[in-house]
Amino acid sequence: MRMPPFRVFTPSSLDEALEISRRLVDSNEGFDWIAGGTDLLPNYKWHINVEENVISLSSVGELKKLSENHIGAMVSVHDLAKEDSTHPVLSKAADSVASIMVRRSGTVGGNICLDTRCYWINQSETWRESIDWCHKCDCGTDADCRVIPNQNTLCVATYQADLAPVLMCLGATIHLASHKGTRSMPLKDFFQLDGMTRNVLDEGELVTHLTIPDDSRDWEGDYQKLRQRESWDFPEAGVAVLWKKGGSIGNPSSLRVATTGLESIPMLHLKESEDALNNWEGIGSVEVLSESIRKAVKPVQNTWFSPSYRRKMVKVLTKRACRGILVS
Amino acid sequence: MEVNRISEERVDEKETNVGEEEIVGYRQQPGKIPFSRPGSGGKNQFSNNTDPKMIPRSQGGDLEQPWGSHRHDSIISGQIIGKPTALIDSGWKVTGQAHYGDDVRLPGELIGRIIRSPHHYARVLSIDCTRALELPGVVAIATGADAKNKFGVLPVTKDEHAMAVEKVRHAGDLVACVAAVDELTAREAERLIEVEYEILDSIHDMRDGLEDSNEPIHDRGKYHIGESNVQKRVFQEFGDIEGMSKSAIASHSKNWFFSGVNHAFTEPHAVVAHWDPSGRLTLYTPQQVPHYVHRALADVLEIPMHQINVHRTFVGGGFGGKSDPFPHEMCAAILARKSGKPVRITFDREEVYWVNRGRHPSRIEMNLHADNKGRICGIETDALIDGGAFASFGHVTTYYNGVLHTAPYEIGAFHYTGARVWTNKPASGAMRGHGAVNSRCAVEVGLDDLAEKLSVDPITLRLANLLPPHSATITGFRVTSIGMRECLEKVKEQSGWASKFRKLPLGKGIGVGCGFFISGSGLPIHWDPNKFPHATVHLKIDMDGGVTVHTGAADIGQGSDTVVAQSVAEVLGLPLDLIRIKSRNSDTSPVDLGSYSSRVTFMNANAAISASMEIRERLLQAASEITSAEKDDLVVGDRRIFAKSDPAVGVSYLEALHKAQEDRGALVSSGSYRTPPMGKTHKGAAAGLAPAYSFSAYVSEVTVDVETGKITVDRVWAAHDCGKAINPLAVSGQIIGSCHMGMGQVLSEEMRYGRNGHLMNPDLLDYKIPSVHEMPEVIPIIVESNDPEGPFGAKEAGEGPLLPILPAVCNAVYDAIGVRTNELPMTPEKVYKMIEKRCRSEGVPSSTNLSCPTLEYSQLQKELEERAIRHSERDIERRLSDHRDDYHNGALFGLDPTKPPDENDPRWEVRVFPGEDYLEDPRLAGSAWKHTERRHSGDDK
Repeated sequence: MRMPPFRVFTPSSLDEALEISRRLVDSNEGFDWIAGGTDLLPNYKWHINVEENVISLSSVGELKKLSENHIGAMVSVHDLAKEDSTHPVLSKAADSVASIMVRRSGTVGGNICLDTRCYWINQSETWRESIDWCHKCDCGTDADCRVIPNQNTLCVATYQADLAPVLMCLGATIHLASHKGTRSMPLKDFFQLDGMTRNVLDEGELVTHLTIPDDSRDWEGDYQKLRQRESWDFPEAGVAVLWKKGGSIGNPSSLRVATTGLESIPMLHLKESEDALNNWEGIGSVEVLSESIRKAVKPVQNTWFSPSYRRKMVKVLTKRACRGILVS
Repeated sequence: MEVNRISEERVDEKETNVGEEEIVGYRQQPGKIPFSRPGSGGKNQFSNNTDPKMIPRSQGGDLEQPWGSHRHDSIISGQIIGKPTALIDSGWKVTGQAHYGDDVRLPGELIGRIIRSPHHYARVLSIDCTRALELPGVVAIATGADAKNKFGVLPVTKDEHAMAVEKVRHAGDLVACVAAVDELTAREAERLIEVEYEILDSIHDMRDGLEDSNEPIHDRGKYHIGESNVQKRVFQEFGDIEGMSKSAIASHSKNWFFSGVNHAFTEPHAVVAHWDPSGRLTLYTPQQVPHYVHRALADVLEIPMHQINVHRTFVGGGFGGKSDPFPHEMCAAILARKSGKPVRITFDREEVYWVNRGRHPSRIEMNLHADNKGRICGIETDALIDGGAFASFGHVTTYYNGVLHTAPYEIGAFHYTGARVWTNKPASGAMRGHGAVNSRCAVEVGLDDLAEKLSVDPITLRLANLLPPHSATITGFRVTSIGMRECLEKVKEQSGWASKFRKLPLGKGIGVGCGFFISGSGLPIHWDPNKFPHATVHLKIDMDGGVTVHTGAADIGQGSDTVVAQSVAEVLGLPLDLIRIKSRNSDTSPVDLGSYSSRVTFMNANAAISASMEIRERLLQAASEITSAEKDDLVVGDRRIFAKSDPAVGVSYLEALHKAQEDRGALVSSGSYRTPPMGKTHKGAAAGLAPAYSFSAYVSEVTVDVETGKITVDRVWAAHDCGKAINPLAVSGQIIGSCHMGMGQVLSEEMRYGRNGHLMNPDLLDYKIPSVHEMPEVIPIIVESNDPEGPFGAKEAGEGPLLPILPAVCNAVYDAIGVRTNELPMTPEKVYKMIEKRCRSEGVPSSTNLSCPTLEYSQLQKELEERAIRHSERDIERRLSDHRDDYHNGALFGLDPTKPPDENDPRWEVRVFPGEDYLEDPRLAGSAWKHTERRHSGDDK
């Protein structure tokens, strides 16, 4: 299977990259950023939303910095997982991404910006033609959503990346740049509930890095993931739970829960964790919290497991991720 | 180290001198140098001493023969057979020099692409290629009009065309094909071809295929079954059907659904076609069965077979999925003929799933009955299988779903109804364990349930009900060697069964499953076995001493080249590097039926042995003439022929060869194999008939996460009776690989169809083959029952080992959490649902509080143990005796074992058509018999 032809730019600095993007935007030429390519290229091979130009960030050195509080967008998922300074929960989540080969190529920025996935879109062109296309890549036909028919406003394709929930719980800030300048925001505000737009990135804008607050080492936690196979598979559900230990055993002083693989964006469940924390009663609260997370997520039928199973498993995963709270 | 190396070289030099001295006796004319050194060709230039451990007891050696002597014992030279050997083509593969289908590059090649139907079922009204032909770079376009002749792998069910002639029958069916200068242009041309369709009502549920339809997917004329989509139906009754339920004290009944699975081989289909200047076609294709492609090409292209050379490339995995003649192979040939240039077509993975030929999605009703003596007094099976859009091997699959579970157990009655229907899905076909896998799983899970109902150990139940060696099954299959008992005993002992079964904590379980499979299909598809052999091998040896072996057996990675080379090498006493296998071209290979039905080792190695024996005779004759030793006293060792009574008297292989070549030049010989006459004569009696059968028993240990339903297979003890492991390394590899493949079907692999009939996962991310993380530790246990007709005693090891893993895992899951599935694959989701259901029905609030199944033996256990011991003694006596009486299934039920049961007792009469009473209330697949074949319905069609 051949990819359609495209032009590749390989800038060696961020400024050069942004300049190329400005030129392409100005001349109204479509383009994609490419980092590790492990997400974009398979989609190109399937002829999904292909652009004529691709700007590769592989030679942009500024984006590769990695320290305890700073994660460059071009840091590979593997390096993030294996670096000593990486927060242990983040390291666990990174180490569970896809397979070793994908982790070696795939990047943190690419993982954060991972395209949403759906049974009706991640297919070859001939296949998609046979279902008369779908909303996300309608090839000019104004096609309906195939998951939830009779609505073509919102795409419900699923966000299936592992790093975002942990980073959101750690309170990470995401930093963006474009030829117009830079901006930053809490990671939770980066995502937008639509399987097509997915996030706030403007045309020509890219993720440069993430910063993690200084108190990250005070947070403990766990990341739990549901999938059919222990390799390759995208998360069918993922739950990150992070907490700060309180005065007594089994009594956290702070608590955050985030999920992935269940909707078009990862979700930070502030209200649910706050409610649980306010009335904390040990193991009973874990049960209540897990149930409230189950209720909070709304998966649809577009991945390997059914939505009802994924919701039930979110509860189990949340409970398992909370185990560390209850022990010393 | 360096010093050592130099001194070794010196020794070598010295040895070389000695070697030259040794040939002084060889008559030289002045000025002529020896053609080559005696014994040359091997890495070691001197003949090795024969290892008595490699020579069977019957020949005075030290090799134990617990199953008695073998007809090939006297030709054992002790060189190769039984030694773990790397496959002879592995060097090519690991260095990347093996050329697979898509690696073939011919000058001036064009790239072919196939235009496929977006509709499940439609009439093709028109195809407009005008715009596509105008595209620069497009050289040729072909449609169904270019090839109207039908083809199909079985002569009785030819229902495929190169491209749609009238209708497309599944999404992805071929409509047209285009050849262009590159892939990009070809893909662009695809878009420009305009096809007009009239969409027809499609059928996706196999149950709908049983009903009459306005527009059956195929029309078989006067042989069509009613107006339905039933492609094949089978009704069979053997044994005492009426007595079965009367004497039953325990019964098992389950309705199964098995999803379809695909072979998922690494190499997608690829083909290159080239018409050379002499007007001959060469087709380069990774095929398991080149000969059938050869025939189909001749039919479709309307040219004689001698104008075609089918070149089998390296095959990147077949598993049955490359054994049909395929429409894309026809397309490549048609495009190449039209364009006058070589055309290459390589599939995307989606196309592999569309051409499919994977295991049939199946609905199987399995009923088992046991009587008060713990005998299996009846098996009733009803199997409806979903054939998809074409017949493929389905005619055979329909039989195999029944007849292949009539052994290894002695049974009182067997009732089978089977039907295969056409639906608008990619065609199902043959896949490793062809037709036997699903119903075998149902039987073995049923036996586990029966054992539980009888309160006996499931292994004991099996051991007390096995057919003895040299017996006939209830369907009349002649079974020779049976290593079933040893398989069961070994896995029981090595797995620590007695201390684990029904004794492990919640979430941990152990289970057993058995298998039985054909070792070669008894009847060739295309001809009368009495006229032509199943397999033929040609040998040629010239002065260099190397043996050129011509065989048509298709090495698909299973090691058929190696096993043929090993057989020749063993008989002639040569190292493997003296053997060169030529098996790729139909121009030079004798016709072979191909790599399916696990026939290659049995049939081809037998043919190779018979060809080698002819050469061996001539070499012995020559050696006798040189040494004056009696020919009968001569034996073959490592590159040397010598007197058994005085090993110092002898000649080298080359000396004997050159002597034998005097006045004649190269030695050539031909050997062949055909099956002996066997089996019964009822309709369908030939299906499942084989010259030998393999047996296997697995025990698996699993962990089930009771909160998520996720199954982890921890360990598998896998015993397989392959007769004789010609290459133990390859046998172990087949066992481990079979475990992986079968585990995929039991845990996660399925071809999943969406709500509007589309295949949702035609890619290797969503078609869930177990990864290395899912793979358990497999402990292969090779059992050698020394089959009397197998080459050196060997039987198959490529398909049979897949069967037991499915039930072994299912039964272990029951042991772990007390639920039995009736659906495969057992994804975590399905297991979780079963756990939830059990919790609800038992009023248990949390799955972690569930109880495990327990076992307290009934009286019957002791009775079965004693019977198993008696039978074990009976079996040993039978396998060692040359004067044994016949043994027909039925003896366990009191019939005279020496006569076929239907001659013994009128109640055991064989029936192959349903009576009216059955048709009043048929089972699901059995309802296919409610239709009348058109030729009997007074219809003129």
